[in-house]
Amino acid sequence: MSVQMKQRGSGGGASKSRDLLQVTAQRSRQDSPPPPAGQPLPPLSVRAGEDNLRGGGGGRMGSGSSSLKHIPDGQQLMEETGFSAAHLLRLHERFDFLDKDGRGHLRPEDFEEIRELTENPIGGRIIAAFFPPEKERLDFPSFVRILAHFRPIGKNRSRDRAQPEQANSRTGKLKFAFELYDQDRDGKISREELLQVLRAMLGLQVTEEQLRSIAERAVQEADIDGDGAISFDEFKKSLEKVDMEHKMNIRFLK
Amino acid sequence: MMAAPRTLFWLLSGSLLGCGGLTPPQAHSPPPSAGVNSSLHADAPTALRVFSVDYHHVQAPFEIVLWIMLASLAKLGFHWSGRVPAVVPESCVLIMVGLLVGGVIYGVRHSAPPTLSADSFFLFLLPPIVLDAGYFLPGRLFFENLGTILWYAVLGTFWNVLGIGLSLYGVCLLAPSSLGDISLLHCLLFGSLIAAVDPVAVLSVYQEMQVNEQLHILVFGESLLNDAVTVVLYKLFESFLRLPSVSGLDVLLGMCRVVVVGLGGLFLGLFFGLLAALTSRFTSRAQVIAPLFVFLYSYLSYLTSEMLHLSGITAIVTCAVTMKQYVEANVSEHSNTSIQYFLKMWSSVSETLIFIFLGVSTIQDVHMWSWPFVCSTLLLCLFWRATGVLLLTPVVNKLRRNAVTFRDQFIIAYGGLRGAICFSLVFLIDDFPKKRLFITTTIVVILFTVFVQGMTIKPLVELLDVKRKKKTLPTVSEEIHTRFMDHLMAGMEDVVGYWGQHFWKDKFEQFNKKYLRRFLIREDQQAHSILRVYQELERRGQRGDDGAPSVVDPCPPSRPLLPEEMDSIRRILSRNLHSFNKKQTRAYSRHSLHQDVPTNRARKPLHRHQSVGGRYTCNATTPQEDDERLCDSLRGRAGLSRSHTVCSRSSRRTLSDSLASTESQTQSQPENPKPEPDRTSSDQQEKAPKKHLSFNLENEKQQ
Repeated sequence: MSVQMKQRGSGGGASKSRDLLQVTAQRSRQDSPPPPAGQPLPPLSVRAGEDNLRGGGGGRMGSGSSSLKHIPDGQQLMEETGFSAAHLLRLHERFDFLDKDGRGHLRPEDFEEIRELTENPIGGRIIAAFFPPEKERLDFPSFVRILAHFRPIGKNRSRDRAQPEQANSRTGKLKFAFELYDQDRDGKISREELLQVLRAMLGLQVTEEQLRSIAERAVQEADIDGDGAISFDEFKKSLEKVDMEHKMNIRFLK
Repeated sequence: MMAAPRTLFWLLSGSLLGCGGLTPPQAHSPPPSAGVNSSLHADAPTALRVFSVDYHHVQAPFEIVLWIMLASLAKLGFHWSGRVPAVVPESCVLIMVGLLVGGVIYGVRHSAPPTLSADSFFLFLLPPIVLDAGYFLPGRLFFENLGTILWYAVLGTFWNVLGIGLSLYGVCLLAPSSLGDISLLHCLLFGSLIAAVDPVAVLSVYQEMQVNEQLHILVFGESLLNDAVTVVLYKLFESFLRLPSVSGLDVLLGMCRVVVVGLGGLFLGLFFGLLAALTSRFTSRAQVIAPLFVFLYSYLSYLTSEMLHLSGITAIVTCAVTMKQYVEANVSEHSNTSIQYFLKMWSSVSETLIFIFLGVSTIQDVHMWSWPFVCSTLLLCLFWRATGVLLLTPVVNKLRRNAVTFRDQFIIAYGGLRGAICFSLVFLIDDFPKKRLFITTTIVVILFTVFVQGMTIKPLVELLDVKRKKKTLPTVSEEIHTRFMDHLMAGMEDVVGYWGQHFWKDKFEQFNKKYLRRFLIREDQQAHSILRVYQELERRGQRGDDGAPSVVDPCPPSRPLLPEEMDSIRRILSRNLHSFNKKQTRAYSRHSLHQDVPTNRARKPLHRHQSVGGRYTCNATTPQEDDERLCDSLRGRAGLSRSHTVCSRSSRRTLSDSLASTESQTQSQPENPKPEPDRTSSDQQEKAPKKHLSFNLENEKQQ
């Protein structure tokens, strides 16, 4: 709890004035015609009230001052990723919780603290997905942007259809998964990369030859242009029958 | 070849039976011991008797031992009998043996064979079974699925009890001539006792089936809690029966009492569990009696809660779950083994005895038969259980990450075999005119579920699997990618702290680390340096190497695969991707401590230990702050492995601070060191051992 307060205090104190400016700027923007993102935002005061209710209920660690003002660029993040304020607050709490030293950013070691993640066969890849190749720091906006891939596709289809390249569209989700396979980022899943994943998932129970033949078969099935590797389009095509949209969603505390 | 041991077994038991059959008459007639002995002595006043038989001196223990011997020999025979264990659940065979024994005794003495008193069941036979179940409960899985388990156990049991009770009352009303004097309370009482399910008996048939860990823990947890709920409800209805009249206030008080009883048992169990943990901290100088404390404290918790009319089952289970991690950390390796073996042994014996007595008690002349009552009970049990599961599952599926599939639901519903608890609860009923009818019905229900359902469930599930597979044959890619997504989502939800579950768990872990472990665990056991290194390297390896390109293997030429290869691939995938976390846990077994994994699988990780151990001699630096975390995570895993294997523990205990000794220890681990049969494939895998480290422990876990 003290860590969290410190984080909020230090972050808030420095940029509080900036936040207020931003907040007021947002508020004035809202009175103008609806923003092009197509997200109908109710007036901020009502939102803040909602936040206080939801934030307080959703996070037991909430210190009571659970308003969006404490998250830098909160409004912008909301618009960009499509998360609601309550979700964003919850993610922020989780971010603070993971950030045990109160640094304001996460390192890979913080992720490794999560025990279940370390036991996950692809846990290492997941952690690596959060951190781009050179950087070892993850700040909150990047954290949220990555998690935006897993936001459930809303019922309000019109909002999502306006932006097909939104992070949580089917394409966005599949792209994220594809990049987990494609470790060398060449845009294709080679047989070797698939074999690595298979080895991680099936591990000791299957012999090397069997793994190889499984990988071989998988590549054969998906490879349309015959280059011996699976491109992103081929990957998408091979999964067209699978209901990916519902699988790749994180369910939030409502 | 199988015939010889079997016939031998039958002969042996028959002869034991002969002795047993002859002796019980003296148990029931007033002991003429004094008269007989004195007459014997009177016959030989002056000469010293060289050889004499004085049965009465040893009668009680002798008979008990004979019964236990019979039970154990029956069990032995069962396991020697070839294909039988795969087809017939053990409980069936034991009941048949009991029937045989009962028949023999009846034939010899022309009167009812001895029956089990309900007191001895509840005080002596039940606690070991429940303690065994509680001690070997996979803690983390259990708490992850606790909501679902409680949902099925508590709500499901209430549904069953009320459903069966009320509909039976309806049946009684419909047949007033024969069943008119059974009141509503009696029906509810009967419903509560007949709803006690013992699916663990069925799990033994599943050794060869794929019981994924989720289903396993659901069934297991449900049976435990279901027993507790049933006993509580039974006692409630019984006390209602004893009241002159039942008013609304009484019902309200009854519900409060249910809550009090449950929570009281829980707290009592916690109390004794912590006491046991504390005591085990000081047993280092007298290691031999350390296991005794585990049993004493658990039994004490059970007896205390029975004394206070609280739920003894809840108490003993809570006690076992609480003390397990601390006791295992505190006591020596051998003590741990002793604890586990004794638990398995006693619970095994208890269960066997119960089923044999079940068979024996069937041969009685106290039966009262009534076609409508018996048949309707059978049908209603099946019906209410099925509807309960079908109704409860959709609700719980919305809240779960892994849905409970239809196949799982079928197994849960159809696998609701009744067992020992029903049997003994029915004997405990205060005497009333139709008690004998209840006893007969209970026995029929138990026999029906055990024999018919027990033997047909496996073929039916296989049929279901086949039908399901025929409809959709996913491609290999789909299967792989779907499973990949599952792992990904699990990881993401762990990052996000899905549902705040992790919040409470993390809080508890912090509390545990800061206070409980410091208090309850011996100082020198709190950190294990060697495993720190191992863990850290493993996790670094997992993170780092996953990104690095693997060793260049020559690409196999791409050619279309033959259909047989395709089939074998599909089989491999379905068998290995089936369980979500890739842990293929064997069903909980009363007979064995080590799950009977094929030996080559058992030796592979050990081989890898050796290859891995050698590589890490240079990388022995660890940050200090990782200690606790690593120990905890290891403990979390080791906790599961502890339930099922002896081997992995020795690597923890006997380690000193150098990796070299790790190597020697792990090399001395295998109890029967045979040459590695598939050395070539494991040599290949040696090239990428780091990736497999996390699965070493996983695999040992599943052993």
